[in-house]
Amino acid sequence: MNEQNIENKLRQVIETVDVANSLTAPLTDTIVNLLESSSALMNSEEASVLIRDGNEGDLCFLCAIGQVADQLEGLKVPAGKGIAGFVFSSGQPLTITDVEGEQSFYAEVDKKTGFSTRTILATPLIYKGDVIGVLEYINRIGEPPFEPFTPEEMDTAALYADAVAGIVNAYESAKLFKDLSKRILSNEKTSEITEIRKWLDELRDTNRHKEMIDLAVLIREITNRGDAERVLCREILESFVNYKNNDLDYKFSHL
Amino acid sequence: MSDFPTSFSNEMIEAKGRFPLNAEWKSRTGKGVRIAIIDSGIDKNHQDLKEKIDKTFEAKQVDKKVVFEETESGDSAGHGTACAGIISMIAPDAAISGIKVLGSGGLGDGHAFLAGLEFAINQKFDIINLSLGTTKPQFATPLHDLLDRAYHAGCVVVAAANNFPQPSFPSVFSSSLISVSKSSETDHLKFGFKYGEIIELTAPGVNVRTAWLNNEHRILTGNSFACPHIVGIIALLLEQYPNLTPFEVKSALYSIALENDKLKETS
Repeated sequence: MNEQNIENKLRQVIETVDVANSLTAPLTDTIVNLLESSSALMNSEEASVLIRDGNEGDLCFLCAIGQVADQLEGLKVPAGKGIAGFVFSSGQPLTITDVEGEQSFYAEVDKKTGFSTRTILATPLIYKGDVIGVLEYINRIGEPPFEPFTPEEMDTAALYADAVAGIVNAYESAKLFKDLSKRILSNEKTSEITEIRKWLDELRDTNRHKEMIDLAVLIREITNRGDAERVLCREILESFVNYKNNDLDYKFSHL
Repeated sequence: MSDFPTSFSNEMIEAKGRFPLNAEWKSRTGKGVRIAIIDSGIDKNHQDLKEKIDKTFEAKQVDKKVVFEETESGDSAGHGTACAGIISMIAPDAAISGIKVLGSGGLGDGHAFLAGLEFAINQKFDIINLSLGTTKPQFATPLHDLLDRAYHAGCVVVAAANNFPQPSFPSVFSSSLISVSKSSETDHLKFGFKYGEIIELTAPGVNVRTAWLNNEHRILTGNSFACPHIVGIIALLLEQYPNLTPFEVKSALYSIALENDKLKETS
């Protein structure tokens, strides 16, 4: 089977099984299930998950439940703005409740949805040391004024955030392949290394994941040039690892 | 066999905590003490903060370097204003400055955070409020180095802990800074000291009413809001005892916390 045939077959398989959605949909469904069960436990009316959008600290709503869920999904929050932006940038969970008589305070999102945020619990989604999103619970079930969220509920939210973070990470990985499959379906050539690297640059993915793939492509590019280049590449990388190990030994020898 | 004790009796802990203090510090206002809040900025036009904010700086990227310039851009999230509100409630005459590292467009969070801390140390602020942190291990070593610099420069750095299983930097560096988690105490001057634990201090951080954006107020819960309580208290201490080193400040806090515990037991 020549390369053109393989590519055609691959495209047919992707089209048949709808790879793009079959990879991400179960993950977003699971997140919605977690939001539903946890919001009931938190006595909360609305819940949502925001994930990073690009590398500049922007966020966008991935999943939401509640009255304005449909309007929230896909909505963007600029870097550092609002409660979610702060929690994402600072890594600090917090709860905020309005003071009677003052206006609804989540203006940037409320203006777009017509919803009135009176109390909110926001906690970061952390996966392997990286803050990858924010989990929020908004308002209580019933009529305002609402009781503030408690420290115990913050702890509960942190546990759910841990579970959601793992799924969001899987979602981001799946989305990589979703984007790749879209690219294959769009009939663009992906065989050129420069093309692949350009595509990687455009990816909305975790910095670390993107850098790892980028590094792998770079190493492949070098090693494809011949045996001498492959040996040299390996020696340089091994020397660097040894240097870093010695550097650590040096630092700890002062203790 | 070493004679070093494997556990500390209450008496030994108490002896360690004794620090010569009188209660006059409680009537101080933080006058002459310079405080930096590294956060989302400060809304210095808020009614609670008028005349209380000294300067406000913002991180900008120039030729791939983070520099700080005076700014009037205010607060991007409300959090820095909330911290300033708590500090000024406890130490109303302290000179508070804001160093905006969150919400400054186009800057990576960790790098701006490090640059903000370095800027505050170079500006020789007496106290630095860090109601934020990072779980990224690549920032641990540079943060540790900066905190050592702060310690030797006499800057007291106070950081909020987080409540996650992952260690958060810098709050886990207990040697060169003061780490705080929230308590449900309602008296703003009452705090606790958990001797031997990584996060040593607890301070009010549950349902704290403080300043927010648009001249409003909010009721807030989080370790972020315990941190400025300790900053305010240290400002009172530094007005009363201007020559205290960061080490002595921590000892003084321990001494006061012991008294707080005794008062609680008596009552």
